[in-house]
Amino acid sequence: MRARDFGLASCHTCGLVVKLPAVGHVHCPRCASPVHSRKVNSLSTSWALLLAAMIAYVPANLFPVMSVVSFGKRQSDTILSGVIYLFVHGDWPLALIVFVASVLVPLLKMIALTYLLVTVQRKSYLRHQQRTRLYRIVELVGRWSMVDIFVVALLAALVNIGNLATIEPGAGAIAFTTVVVLTMLAAANFDPRLIWDHQGEK
Amino acid sequence: MASSREPVDLDNVPEAEVDTEHKGFPVVWLLPIVALVVGGWLFYKTMSEKGPEITIVFNNAEGIEEGKTKIKFRDVTLGQVDRVDLSDDLKSVVLVATMSPGVKHYLTDASRFWVVKPRVGAGGVSGLGTLLSGAYIAFEPSTEGKSQKKFTGLEKPPVISIDKKGTKYHLKADSLGSMSIGAPVYFRQLDIGEVTGYQLADDYSHVDIGIFVESPYDKYVRTGTRFWNAGGVSLSMTASGVKLEMESLISLLGGGVAFETLPEFTDSPPAPAETMFSLYENRTRSLEQPITRVVTYMLKFTGTVRGLSEGAPVEYRGLRIGTVKAIELGEDPLHQGILVPVVLIDIEPQRTMAYKEVSATSKREVTALEKNPHKRIAELVKKGLRARLQSGNLVTGQLFVDLDYFPDAAPAEVLTAGLYPELPTVPNSLEGILASVNRILDRVEKADLQGTLVNLNQLMVSTNNLVGELEKKTPELASELSTTLKTANSALVKLESAVSPDGAIGSQVQDALREISSAARSIRVMAEYLERHPDSLLKGKGAP
Repeated sequence: MRARDFGLASCHTCGLVVKLPAVGHVHCPRCASPVHSRKVNSLSTSWALLLAAMIAYVPANLFPVMSVVSFGKRQSDTILSGVIYLFVHGDWPLALIVFVASVLVPLLKMIALTYLLVTVQRKSYLRHQQRTRLYRIVELVGRWSMVDIFVVALLAALVNIGNLATIEPGAGAIAFTTVVVLTMLAAANFDPRLIWDHQGEK
Repeated sequence: MASSREPVDLDNVPEAEVDTEHKGFPVVWLLPIVALVVGGWLFYKTMSEKGPEITIVFNNAEGIEEGKTKIKFRDVTLGQVDRVDLSDDLKSVVLVATMSPGVKHYLTDASRFWVVKPRVGAGGVSGLGTLLSGAYIAFEPSTEGKSQKKFTGLEKPPVISIDKKGTKYHLKADSLGSMSIGAPVYFRQLDIGEVTGYQLADDYSHVDIGIFVESPYDKYVRTGTRFWNAGGVSLSMTASGVKLEMESLISLLGGGVAFETLPEFTDSPPAPAETMFSLYENRTRSLEQPITRVVTYMLKFTGTVRGLSEGAPVEYRGLRIGTVKAIELGEDPLHQGILVPVVLIDIEPQRTMAYKEVSATSKREVTALEKNPHKRIAELVKKGLRARLQSGNLVTGQLFVDLDYFPDAAPAEVLTAGLYPELPTVPNSLEGILASVNRILDRVEKADLQGTLVNLNQLMVSTNNLVGELEKKTPELASELSTTLKTANSALVKLESAVSPDGAIGSQVQDALREISSAARSIRVMAEYLERHPDSLLKGKGAP
């Protein structure tokens, strides 16, 4: 039994339960905020943000995230080349952390979101609970991918010793930030209630 | 308010108010499009900014570091070495470098790469800056030629940079001497070019030295220009003194080339690039007249030719007119089967010509010898022209071939039977003396000594007889001689008395002498008077 089944919805702003008319955009009679039974255009918006994130993911991995200029020698590293560099030099725990946080997590997040969106669109009635849990994890983990960006931003600001060493953010960093922000937005725009909307229909 | 446990009165739920309808394009879908556009633009920008990747092959990678060594042109960094690999056959190293995108059009087969590191040469020290900064690869862009990505680096920096204007020439030298790459080229002692390289000719017959003459001086290189080796010091002793020739201290150490154009060749056309010139050993040699025509003659000497060498001069009364070409053995024309030294000489008619300002095109007056040397020499031989060996230097005993007239010599002609026409020869002066002595001795030998001795014997006998007869008459002769002596003695006594001062003759002589003495005194007085009063000659002796 859902609120929707009774033609009811709660106002997101003041919590007033209102009756929804059959058609049209409506607003709360008490606080005049828009009232929807589900997030408006949730699937479409999520899809758009997710696609944009996927597109941005490509340059994020191909372009250098960070350039270290030391004694006139410039070394530019992409995320993966940095991971390889760490791994080759024996810092494999660190390499693993960077790999998981910067490569695996955004990738898995995008896969997870895609999975959620596809299943909702196909009105799947299976594994509602697992899917909901997946969504929670996605939302929770998403922000931790920003660690990389913080590191680059901090280093770029701190390490600026002229010819000795200078660290410059690369185009990859911006793309990567975009990926993280877009996936977070996509996750936020996804309405988990949609997962449960099709449990009864067979 | 109703608690959550109570059933909800759905009828009392307020109804949401309907907004005015507004539906448009979902703005959020612009995001993927923007992402696509920005991403695409990023890729395009990166791809277009990425410079060409080239490979350069060097013999070794001394001083080159991966990811650090720069490729520079005029000290502007245009690229960087990314990787240093070994070639498959391990004989060279292959540098993989990324160039700046703008350089793409300057990477042609005429572009050159070389490693700049400190170098010390005769001409100076270069590349000192790389001691601190490390070696870098110098790049010389070129727009000419075909575009390419694989290059072979030069082991030594090129002597001439591409932007230097000038012309390349070749010099043909017997040996390299002290020539080194980068050695200067002088024109009137101005340093106007460099030796760019040298290599042995394909047939090993000479050394091919490449030189570069900078513009605008290359226009002074004419087809008639002479080049000579300016390296080292040339010391020559002539009758006018000691002459020391030296271009510069640098050329003393590293060699060098100088050139000059003879006045009569300044009108000749400018030499095209890559022209091959002869490199003479010194200036004097180079400025000698070019010998383009020679007439070869054969000389057969009966005596020794020790001291005569190839290249020795052939002179006519001290003027050089040719060169000894070869010295061989040949058959004696007079005595069959006997080998004698045969000397081949080149008569160089051009040496005999007199230079005169005849016309603009030809400044030479052609002599009869030059016009038809064979005919002219045949005529001269009829008049007594002969060849002989003369000693040119008493210390070293070097000989030269001297041509001169010997009107007394046996008549001879130019023999044209052999490979070369043969000039008649006469023995040299020492040989001549020896020959005369020989002749005398021959005659002495041939004379009738026996008869002479018999005659001499007879003469002695008759003399003996004569003396014997004289001996028999000696006493008689002795007495007669005694009386004669006595008579003579008395005569002498008489003469003595007559001549003595007391004698008749003696007193007369004394008187005469006294008279002469007083006369002389009077003359002296008169002379002194005349000296004081020359006018007395006209006026007479005035009153005292």
